[in-house]
Amino acid sequence: MTGSVGILNVGAGDTKLSFDPNNLAERIRACRIVRDMLRRGYALLVEVTQPDGTKAYQRALDFREDTAEYIIADFDPGAGEPQTFINEHEHEETGEAATDRAAAASPKTKPPRGRPRKAIPAEGVRAVAVARTAGG
Amino acid sequence: MLSHVPQAVEAYGIALLNRLDGMAGLREGLRRIAADRGDWAGIPMPMSDTPLVIEPSYPKAAELMAIGRNAEPEEPGWTKVNEWYSRRRRQSVLIGRDLAGKLHWGYSGAVHHGGLELATLGASDAWGIEQEARAVRLLGTLVRHRQFKQYLLTGMFIERSPRSGVHYLFRKLRPTLALRESRDDMRILCALCLHPIAYYAGSWGGGMCPTDDVIAHLMLMRGDEPMFWRRANQHPPYRSEAGL
Repeated sequence: MTGSVGILNVGAGDTKLSFDPNNLAERIRACRIVRDMLRRGYALLVEVTQPDGTKAYQRALDFREDTAEYIIADFDPGAGEPQTFINEHEHEETGEAATDRAAAASPKTKPPRGRPRKAIPAEGVRAVAVARTAGG
Repeated sequence: MLSHVPQAVEAYGIALLNRLDGMAGLREGLRRIAADRGDWAGIPMPMSDTPLVIEPSYPKAAELMAIGRNAEPEEPGWTKVNEWYSRRRRQSVLIGRDLAGKLHWGYSGAVHHGGLELATLGASDAWGIEQEARAVRLLGTLVRHRQFKQYLLTGMFIERSPRSGVHYLFRKLRPTLALRESRDDMRILCALCLHPIAYYAGSWGGGMCPTDDVIAHLMLMRGDEPMFWRRANQHPPYRSEAGL
């Protein structure tokens, strides 16, 4: 299955973005738009397979444009340790910066607050984007 | 696009619909401007009789909201002192002071929601059949067959949140009802009203076509239920805005 994002649209009806690995131009465009939508406060709901095999929607907290991955909160109690969160951030830094940071970090450093995060490749999941809401 | 409908037939159908729809040109123009500006969710259509209420951070929100509103509001001749809702009378009680300083009181609003119904009918000019059809197709991929059938036949369907246990009755052009099961009955917690980007004041219509609003409610409930409650207006079931 090719990953896709359905954007709820006022004038055009729903528009669709595709993360087709065979269509690089469309994939780059989709990555840019998804990143921009998150910056503008859109809610991006991603269909994620749960540990028990069922599928559920979760809101994406961030998006990695270079690897086309959604960052979501990890609700799996077995897999989600705070260490996962730290490793993911190191992954984004250059090698030197990561080494300096690791050296400076003491073993007593408190783990970051909130749930650990995990990355979901956008190529394999579908998502729906909802713009900021005006209430009602 | 439906797989068994040839592309040319669908294009002909859309062209025919656009010829019959007086607002199709404006809708298409706004769609193009939105694509150029990078407004990924489009630009809501201003209407002359039904003012828009737009999410404040949306680009040019104030300018768009000014369209269709009176530039100079009429002098009311009195100032409002207080207002509250009377559950017994199902109306708001208003207290005001006239120019001479004398206090007056009265009831405001109707006990029925006929006005909201008519305003919603007026807002329907903003939506297109093509857009609604796309939204219905998308909804069909998000819900079970029974729910989809219920939606097509009654304009509503129900889904239980596995996290909170709350049942949600999603309704076309009405706020979503949050229901809690108690013994053999369902208790209405409140009606949740929410529209992405914009809505038409005094109506149940949003900037998006009706089924897109339903999808937005459904997805926010599934993906981030606390955010859905935070962002929605929570109308008590006895208020006319709840649509009951």
